[in-house]
Order: sequence, then structure tokens, then C-alpha cells
Amino acid sequence: MGSSEDLTAPLYVAWQVTNECNLACLHCIEESGPGKAFKDELGRAQVFDVIDQLMDHQVPYLSFSGGEPMLHPHFFEMVERVCARGGELKIETNGHYLTQENCERLKELGVKAVQVSLDGASAATFGRMRVRGNFDLTLAGVRNLHAAAVPIEINFSPAAFNIHEADAIVDLAYELGAVSFYSGRTMFTGNAVKAWRHLAVSEEQYKTYFDVLRRKADECRGKMRVYFHEAGLLEELRYRLKNPAALLIVLPNGLVKLINALPFVCGDFRRQTLTEIWANFRRAWQDPRVAKFIDDLASDPGQTRTLHQWVSV
Amino acid sequence: MQLAKHVKFREEKFGGVLFETRSEKVFTLNATAAAVVREIAAGHDQKEIAVRLADRFSGSPAAIEREVAGLIGDLQQKGLVEDSARG
Repeated sequence: MGSSEDLTAPLYVAWQVTNECNLACLHCIEESGPGKAFKDELGRAQVFDVIDQLMDHQVPYLSFSGGEPMLHPHFFEMVERVCARGGELKIETNGHYLTQENCERLKELGVKAVQVSLDGASAATFGRMRVRGNFDLTLAGVRNLHAAAVPIEINFSPAAFNIHEADAIVDLAYELGAVSFYSGRTMFTGNAVKAWRHLAVSEEQYKTYFDVLRRKADECRGKMRVYFHEAGLLEELRYRLKNPAALLIVLPNGLVKLINALPFVCGDFRRQTLTEIWANFRRAWQDPRVAKFIDDLASDPGQTRTLHQWVSV
Repeated sequence: MQLAKHVKFREEKFGGVLFETRSEKVFTLNATAAAVVREIAAGHDQKEIAVRLADRFSGSPAAIEREVAGLIGDLQQKGLVEDSARG
């Protein structure tokens, strides 16, 4: 992702369209779940206004996530609006609503890819992470995507109880027809704070895990891209402080975050235009509170537990 | 010749950016490179682009033709530009 310097608008907008979810995953950084929609989520006219602003400014790439984005009451209308205006759109879903009909519709509308979270290569590990989730239904959904010729991406979040499946999950992603596989480190925030004793992965385990992924990336070369992000959160944030990505994180209520792993909010689509928010985004990265928060993470990594206590900058 | 399917181009004050949305890689373009990409996006082939840019930029037509060919070759190598026949 490129630097934001001198650009007239972001290059990527990651939009959490709703906080409602049918699952209640142990590691969910958004603390999504059944009945967890924000009370002030954007309405139909507001979401279309945001989409139109993004398209007017030629933002080339968007993702819809959540919560579960397919639970948004205007999900398909939003997809249609973005795709019809030439935006490249990725859907990040838990895969439980990927019926044959929905997959065919996503193909017809022209989404760039659908990323499905598959945090286990077996029903046992999947079910442990993805509370209320159904492994077989998720696999069926991915197969429906493949049948409809929608490009598939698989995301895997490691935890103490599933990290041994590294080999198997990459193989499963390939068998399902994925074009890309993504992984990284699971963050200590959101639901993960309470469940950390079940999730926590040691540095030694991570080292073995990333070694496996390196090998799998070589094995899959030319067939499926295997992406993984080895850097720890502190290293990533220190880099971003100097090189902010041209990326806006939009929350379900229209607030805009600097980056997911920081509590700082730099705009509000209910009250500000994209141009105003983008100007403030670039200024906000220079706010001393941002640098201080990142510095403090070095001595207290646990302060990521406060990411949902938003701070305006 | 056209921009590859998942490549988006946006003009900027400094020139432009190409965004390869599959790899999420961003390529920053200076004003000359942006002018070439604009012509590719408009559907012109390499020869037409060289002629059109020779009308707008100073320099010998031969030098401009070489620069255009070099840039297009680079874009093709990076998978940012493809033959129109590929769809």
C-alpha cells in the first residue's frame, strides 16, 4: 500500500459496513456478534452518499467487512453501486451466506474477490475459534464461490489451538480454489482480550508457523499466492507512523479511523466530506498523541485492549 | 493494448498512480509516465502514443519513441499493461 503523501484521495477504503454478525469469534477485533450492530450505523442514503464521494474521487479499491457485511440491509445495493461506478470491491465475509444464488449475484455484479475467514482446517478448530460458526456451511459457501467463478481469498488467524494446522489450511485453501491465502499475527484486542489464554501463540510457535508458510508459498508459487505478515504490531505501527498508508478505515457509523490498530478517529462521514476527512487524516498522523500511543506500546503492549475507546485527533 | 484488468489509474498533481488491486501494489508515475498511461487507457497503441506525445512534449520524436517503448515495456513486465486481445 502506497504512502498517503501528496495524493488527492485515499487509494483504499476498508469499510466495516455493520457491526452485526451471526458469529461471535473468540478473536474478533471488532467485538461483533449477534445484536452488536451499532445504534447509530449509517442509513441507506448516508451509505450511498459515502460511496458516491469515494467514486467521485476515484478511490480505486474498497473492501466491505463487518461484522458480517452480508447482513447489512442494503448489502447488494451497495455492492452494485460500487461496481457499477468502476470501483474494485472485495467482500470480507464469514462465508455463511454464500448461497449459490448470492455467489452468482456477486459474480454478476463484478466483485473483485470474496475473502472468507477460515480459522481452522477441521470442524473442531474452526468451531473453537468461530463461535456459532458452521465449518461445513462455510466450505459449501466457498465452493459456491468457486462454481460461480468469483475469485476466492482465504484468511486464517492463528491461535494456540489451530496453529498446528498451517500446512493443512493452506492445502485446503488451494483445494477450494483460492487465488490467495492471507495470514498474520492475531491481535490482542476486542474479543481476544477476554479469550487470550486460549488464543495466545508463543514467539517460538510463530517462528515455526511462518517457516511453514514460507515453504507453502514456494510450493504454491504460480498456483495460489500465499501472503503473510510476520511483523509484530509495534514494528508495523512504527513504520506506518513514518509512512501512513493511503488507507481509510470507515466504521459502521461513519467515523473514520487512522488505522485499525490505533484508537484514533480522524473524521466523520456524517458531518464531513471525503476531502475534509482526507486532509485531516494526513494531519492527524502527525498528532503527538499518535506517536506517544505507539511509543507506549513498547512498554505496555496490552494497551491495545483500549482500541475501542476512540480518541478524536 | 490496455491497462490490465485489476489495474486502476488515477491522475495526481505530480503525475499519477497505478494501483494493482490484486497485490495492492502502488506505482507512482511522474508527469511523462502518467501521460503515457493516460494514452494507454484511452486505447491508443504504442506508435500512436509516441506520435501524440511528440506533439506535446519537447524532444526529438526518436527519443520520445524510445522513452515510450521503454516505459510500456516496463509496464508490461510488471503486468500492469496487457494486449487488448486478452480481454
